[in-house]
Amino acid sequence: MASTADSAAGTPEQARQARYGVRKYSADLSAVGEPWLWGLGGALALGIILVAGFLTMIFWNGVSTFWPKPIEVVTLTNGTVVAGEPTRSGIYRVGASLRETLSPEALEIIDANDGLAQRVLYRSANFDLYGDDFRWVSDFEVADVERPADFYLLERQEWGPFVGRIVGLTLEGEPQDLARYDYPALRKVQARARERFERIRHIEQKDIGRVNYDMERERLALRRVQLRHGEDSEEYRARQRETEARVAELQQEFARHQARISEIRTRDRQDWFLLEEVGGRTKQQLLSEVVRLYPANDLSWSQKVGIYLSRWKEFLTAEPREANTEGGVLPAIFGTVAMTLIMVVIVAPFGVITALYLREYAKQGRIVSIVRVSVNNLAGVPSIVFGVFGLGFFAYTLGVSIDQLFYPERLPSPTFGTGGILWSALTLALLTVPVVIVASEEALAAVPRSMREGSLACGASKWQTIRRVVLPRAMPGIMTGLILAMARGAGEVAPLMLVGVVKLAPMLPVDGFYPYLHLERSFMHLGFHIFDVGFQSRNSEAGKPMVFVTTLLLLFLIVAMNSSAIYIRNRLKRKFAVGQF
Amino acid sequence: METRTTSPAGEGGSDAHAFIVHRREKTTKKSVLLGDKLANWSITIGGLLVIVAVITIMLFLISVAMPLAGRGELQAHRVYTLATAKPVAWLNADEYTTTAIRVAADGAVSAFHIPTGTFLASDQLDFAEPATAVGGIVTRDQVAFGFADGTVRFGQFAFEVGVERPDRVPAGRTPLTERDSVAGAMVYREMPTGDFRSILPTWKVDPPQQISEFPIVALDYRVGGTVERPTRSFVTMDAAGVARISRAVVQRNLMTGAETVRLSSSTLPTLPEGTVVTRVLMNSAADRVIVATDDGTLYRYDVRDFSNPVLAETTRAFDGKVAITSMDFLNAEHAMVVGGSNGAVDVFFRLERADAATTDGYELVRARSHENQGTPIIGISVAQRKKAMVTLGADGSAWVRYSTADRTMFRLQRQSDPEVDAALMLMPRMDGLLLVDRQGAVDSWSFYFPHPETTLKAIFGKLWYEGYPEPTYTWQSSSGTDVFEPKYSLVPLIFGTIKATVYALLFAVPISLLGAIYTSEFLHRRVRASVKPVMEMMESLPTVVLGFVAALVLAPLVEEWIAAVLLAFVSIPMGLMLGAYGWQMLPPVTALRLGGVPKFLFMIAAIIVFGFVAYSLGPAFERALFYGDFKAWVNSDVGTGLPFLFLIGFPLSFMLVTFGFGRWYGHRWRLLLREQRRESAGRLDFLRWVIFLAVAGAMSWLMAALLTALGYDPRGGVIDTYSQRNALVVGFVMGFAVIPNIYTLAEDALNSVPSHLRAASLAAGATPWQTAMWVILPVAASGVFSAVMIGMGRAVGETMIVVMAAGNTPVLEWNVFSGLRTLSANIAVELPEAVKDSTLYRTLFLAALTLFVMTFVINTLAELVRQRFRKRAFQL
Repeated sequence: MASTADSAAGTPEQARQARYGVRKYSADLSAVGEPWLWGLGGALALGIILVAGFLTMIFWNGVSTFWPKPIEVVTLTNGTVVAGEPTRSGIYRVGASLRETLSPEALEIIDANDGLAQRVLYRSANFDLYGDDFRWVSDFEVADVERPADFYLLERQEWGPFVGRIVGLTLEGEPQDLARYDYPALRKVQARARERFERIRHIEQKDIGRVNYDMERERLALRRVQLRHGEDSEEYRARQRETEARVAELQQEFARHQARISEIRTRDRQDWFLLEEVGGRTKQQLLSEVVRLYPANDLSWSQKVGIYLSRWKEFLTAEPREANTEGGVLPAIFGTVAMTLIMVVIVAPFGVITALYLREYAKQGRIVSIVRVSVNNLAGVPSIVFGVFGLGFFAYTLGVSIDQLFYPERLPSPTFGTGGILWSALTLALLTVPVVIVASEEALAAVPRSMREGSLACGASKWQTIRRVVLPRAMPGIMTGLILAMARGAGEVAPLMLVGVVKLAPMLPVDGFYPYLHLERSFMHLGFHIFDVGFQSRNSEAGKPMVFVTTLLLLFLIVAMNSSAIYIRNRLKRKFAVGQF
Repeated sequence: METRTTSPAGEGGSDAHAFIVHRREKTTKKSVLLGDKLANWSITIGGLLVIVAVITIMLFLISVAMPLAGRGELQAHRVYTLATAKPVAWLNADEYTTTAIRVAADGAVSAFHIPTGTFLASDQLDFAEPATAVGGIVTRDQVAFGFADGTVRFGQFAFEVGVERPDRVPAGRTPLTERDSVAGAMVYREMPTGDFRSILPTWKVDPPQQISEFPIVALDYRVGGTVERPTRSFVTMDAAGVARISRAVVQRNLMTGAETVRLSSSTLPTLPEGTVVTRVLMNSAADRVIVATDDGTLYRYDVRDFSNPVLAETTRAFDGKVAITSMDFLNAEHAMVVGGSNGAVDVFFRLERADAATTDGYELVRARSHENQGTPIIGISVAQRKKAMVTLGADGSAWVRYSTADRTMFRLQRQSDPEVDAALMLMPRMDGLLLVDRQGAVDSWSFYFPHPETTLKAIFGKLWYEGYPEPTYTWQSSSGTDVFEPKYSLVPLIFGTIKATVYALLFAVPISLLGAIYTSEFLHRRVRASVKPVMEMMESLPTVVLGFVAALVLAPLVEEWIAAVLLAFVSIPMGLMLGAYGWQMLPPVTALRLGGVPKFLFMIAAIIVFGFVAYSLGPAFERALFYGDFKAWVNSDVGTGLPFLFLIGFPLSFMLVTFGFGRWYGHRWRLLLREQRRESAGRLDFLRWVIFLAVAGAMSWLMAALLTALGYDPRGGVIDTYSQRNALVVGFVMGFAVIPNIYTLAEDALNSVPSHLRAASLAAGATPWQTAMWVILPVAASGVFSAVMIGMGRAVGETMIVVMAAGNTPVLEWNVFSGLRTLSANIAVELPEAVKDSTLYRTLFLAALTLFVMTFVINTLAELVRQRFRKRAFQL
């Protein structure tokens, strides 16, 4: 409301009167309630500051994570040298037990600072050599800090990153003169070696995966015959012979693929770096197991941007490595999207039909109010309760029956009798159906009565009216509801933890093997990825950057869905405001 | 609608003048009618599916949780007589209740099939004379016999259990039952997978060890140490009344495989003359011996120093007329169950007590008195894995009891003659009971009791668990050992849920409600158009993100800056008030000009500035009030409770002062201000505020000092020891999660108050503040209330934030600085690991049901209130 104008309604008048010193009837200070107003406004302002601060923090951390950081080599007063990326810093109070171990000079610095000290967390990397990724360095122990240009950061397939110098390069078994290899040349040889790695991976996943899949199918087919006809039957023996022949064939194929892999591997072992960490220890590193390398202190702007973008690309298109703390989140994106889409397919008819019932079919009365109470309760029941229901009812009751009926050959290992993407989608469909119902109801209500009456007057039946006139008109509103439901569903994690989300899914729910869509498979999910990497990984500090980026991605998805829903809704409102006849 | 054009009848032909009749068919097509009917039905059914869904969820949760209250079922009671009648010294049976070994006092061993009584094997051990005492370990496979010549012999009576594939099972087996068959002494039981389980009884005895010159009358035996170097400890009581504790260390020569036994003994302090010992008991560590007598006395020896045993405690289990007729440890040996000649079955714990009148500071405490059996308890057999036992009465009654939950599961009655001595054994899986008497008569029961741990009292009441100093509400569902006592009290979880909700709402309700009022009544239109959608979007913010931020970003930050955070609670409201009184001093024209968006920006600035003030003054504040170390202070290591009382008392006394002033001088003060020009009135009011602050500060300090002098210290209640993941952080972040919910709903409620009310009030001369407070808010009150309820419902069920940021400690304390565990977090953490249909699984379903009911009540209440509000707002 135009409240400001109202609140000041008397003020010019008062000001004029004040000039003449006559003020007998104006509202006094307590009537304006200024301190109270500031209390109300302050609450809102605090809310806005919190929201803005929260979003800014997520955004900044997420966006800045992949930017290459410099490598600092810190010489400590006791002679130790630490090299690493400075990740964050903080102030802390120096405890009494620590103080006893410190030199008088250090104590002097601390006391000058009220007993506080500044410290920096360095990502010293080299987990294979140090047994630790991070190291705190306090300001009073630092003797010298420098940024040498020849320090490289290598992201590796295993063991996390490496920080140190490259002191040797061997290609095809021949030691090379390092002086001839500048950074772009190093990248070129690394990229070639990396290609071999990708080739091995392709053979392992696609070709060997296919062989394994076929073998499993043969085994299941045999078991099915065994269950149907018994072990002594003619059919079983025939099938057994067939299976054996086929398995032998497959094993040959398997051996062929293995031979190809070992051939590439042999070639691969001839290319390696000799690396030296800051303390002087050296390590051989296969070229093909280096994902990315760069001289952190010797990069131009364009190179930095290149590294930044390549990291984003890896994040969005690759599979995770290092217990999910590095690499990409493609399977999680895929799982989230697939689950959400399946959920929408389930929730759309259910929600729309209920809305139609409430708006168009039901006679107002007790039943309708019970339905409304039910909808409200579905909306209010905690999501974890849906998870419990999903696990107990869908997986352990429905799923186990399905297994017994349709997949007896796979027992006792469950097919549908455990968590999976279908059960997750069904559970979330239950959870989000109130959103769809409420939005669809609003959309149906917004269709003018005159249009329905017109259609009915032309002789259309009720269903024809709804199908041809009401639903098309309400469709954008229903879509809004569906998008809101998707946003809600994509962000829910708690129920999924019970009904099918896993930290690392070996296979995607959609792949090239018949029947292509595997509804029984468990899947990865962005939200659960955040929980898993942040709380269940070896080192939550190492996983933190990944968590921030994943969070940013998830938030982006959800904000995008929500904004589009709000946009559609607003456009609709405008359209209906003028579009009535 | 369909219309049909039909040409006139046949011979009209084309050459006739074109006379076309358009006839409209009056009937609707069948398919249309059918489609309409179909749609009608399917939509009605679809619509009602929502009700079905809600009811299904509830019924399913109930149906899974229901068996927790089950009474169990007695499946069979078989009675048969064995071919040979012998006094029974010891019984053992295998895990799967197929085979039992009976050891007679004269050394005759026989194995028989439990369901049918078929003899499988027999043997005669080379006992010179019948055993006079016997004792064994809880799994019943290691036994010691005492003899009249003062010797002790060890024996092993065990089973070799294996799994065989069908083709490797011998063919010529004699069938016993549907699933069991026997070949030699080996019983084969067919498993559901088609494989066979083979069970073979085995036994062996060691050569005698001389312990005493007198007959052994009572004996207990335990095995400790490692597999390579087992330590066999036993305590004996001989006919001369001398109790000895002995240790036999077996050393196995790795080269020859020969075993050498080194025996060392120590005599326990003698008991008073004329004591009749009925039972001796020792624990596995062999540092505790308990002797029971026929006058109800328990003597507890402390044998931690093996060479110098001490009589640590003498206590009465029963009064002098009641004898202790049987005694044993429940598994894990924390609890000791004592049966008396009056039928009492009591459980004692050895607990550390500050005022214990014993030499070692421990005391035997009666923790439970189980249901009296009404007849002398002549035998006890304890379960190997659960806290269950069977007590045999002299009248032949055998009661199966579950000790933790203090319940009697079955009351069985033996069919053999109660007068005849019998031995009994509770089956390892607690699925049966075997009773064999000296005449060879056998009573074998099999029963099924899936969830003995859960009674109403166990779930919602206090129970006294092993190792706890008193009865408590505890949730602890699992542990590393299998002799663990599961604790299934939902009370700490319900408490945690309420605690998290209360702290979240304490933060969220003021901010969201005040913000909603400001948005709906005072905020500039343009600002509002952007604030509302942002808040709506925050509603669907994934809580996993909030939880992650709470735990990994906020919790360490708050821990580091706790003093600044506390100061911010004071400085930000103070800053806003300062802003308000400053604003009053502005000339009215300026105030009017800046009244819209700039005023709101000033408010934001005030918060940021005073937030920063809190941040920079934090360390100084910590030094001034909390001795420079807040965590040490809150842990009660330093200082008194005065600073905290002062902080809490400050706003209270400020309110008191303001109220008092308004009550007695308010009217005069308002008249005085009315005489002034706006600016000078503002200045006067500012002066009043400053004086009030000073007075309130002084008052609060005095009150705090007085309370401290009286010995009151708030530490230990609402504030106590600091842990990083605590209720403050959870309350803050969960509050942040529910703010958008409450805010949008409350704002909607305020907005839907008919605008003619607002217009009328303003036109009558009320200020916007007066209109908002006395016209709009009362009308919208029920809507606002239902918004709070819905926010509460969301906070109750919130999972991810609590899982990640609350530390998951199920404790019962209101401390803001300690962690908590809610029902929802508990389900999320434990259900993935729970075995289907286990007690834990069902209890977690019960937790889900509790959560469902809690939110159901809250939501239904909110819905009813909202409907009332709608009706009222519509009438206005």
